[in-house]
Amino acid sequence: MRFATRLAAAVLGSGIAFAQAGHDDVVRVDPALKRLAGMITALGEPDAEGRIYSFRGTPIGPPASTPKEYPPGELRGWRLTFLAGQRFSAAFEVQANTAAEITVSAADGPLNGIAVRDVFIVEEIELKR
Amino acid sequence: MKRLGLVLACLVACSAAAQGARLPAEAVDAFHAALRNKDTAAALSLLDRGLVVYEFGGVDPTAEAYALNHLPFDMDLAVASQWKLETRRVGGEGNERWVLSTYRVNGKQADGTPIDQVTLETVILRRSGGLFRIVHFHWSTSDAGFQARSQGQRTQGAAPR
Repeated sequence: MRFATRLAAAVLGSGIAFAQAGHDDVVRVDPALKRLAGMITALGEPDAEGRIYSFRGTPIGPPASTPKEYPPGELRGWRLTFLAGQRFSAAFEVQANTAAEITVSAADGPLNGIAVRDVFIVEEIELKR
Repeated sequence: MKRLGLVLACLVACSAAAQGARLPAEAVDAFHAALRNKDTAAALSLLDRGLVVYEFGGVDPTAEAYALNHLPFDMDLAVASQWKLETRRVGGEGNERWVLSTYRVNGKQADGTPIDQVTLETVILRRSGGLFRIVHFHWSTSDAGFQARSQGQRTQGAAPR
């Protein structure tokens, strides 16, 4: 298992890292959304006002179904939700992405409060405001 | 001053995302509705940060672990099935309440196999700031075969520590 995935499991206090067992394996349904989880590895540069709108991250999850990096440009318009950290449950719209960097739209405010090792998920669905 | 402005902006944004509910049963129903509506943020905002989940023999010891490990699948299942509330009992007092529900769950798996079972749900909620949020879920099923398969799979799938 990739180091980032193991680290995320440790950070989240999960004894079973990214369990594919349990009712998930007994009932198989189609995914409701395309989604990719990730962990922040570095914060983006703040603007002149100290606002942060980007970060560097790495995908985490089961090795068989998790890419090593984000598909450049493909996450534009996807919804990003924080699953851990100070911004737990806060949602944003992805404005742009490279293989390792994600930038969110300014429409939802800055990302300030996020930290390295925070975990997030990007999902292919429009953010409702 | 700029820093103060940023902190205030963050606090406003954080509080705007927080939901909770005035009544315990409303929080439970809102959580299921959020899953059905594919609204990850709304579902998370109904969870207390001290959440522990027991689900078919497995444990998510933190809200963050549940959010990453199992909430996405629960959303997939909610979208692929219909949950009809069959029974509900509400109890507790003050800021600590419980909601016991049974649901008839119907739907189809990806391969067309029908889903037809009764899901049993125990929810414990805590009120903070006038709003109830969920601190514990326990899901199981009246289908003994399903429960056994789930627990068997989980045992086999457990990662070594």
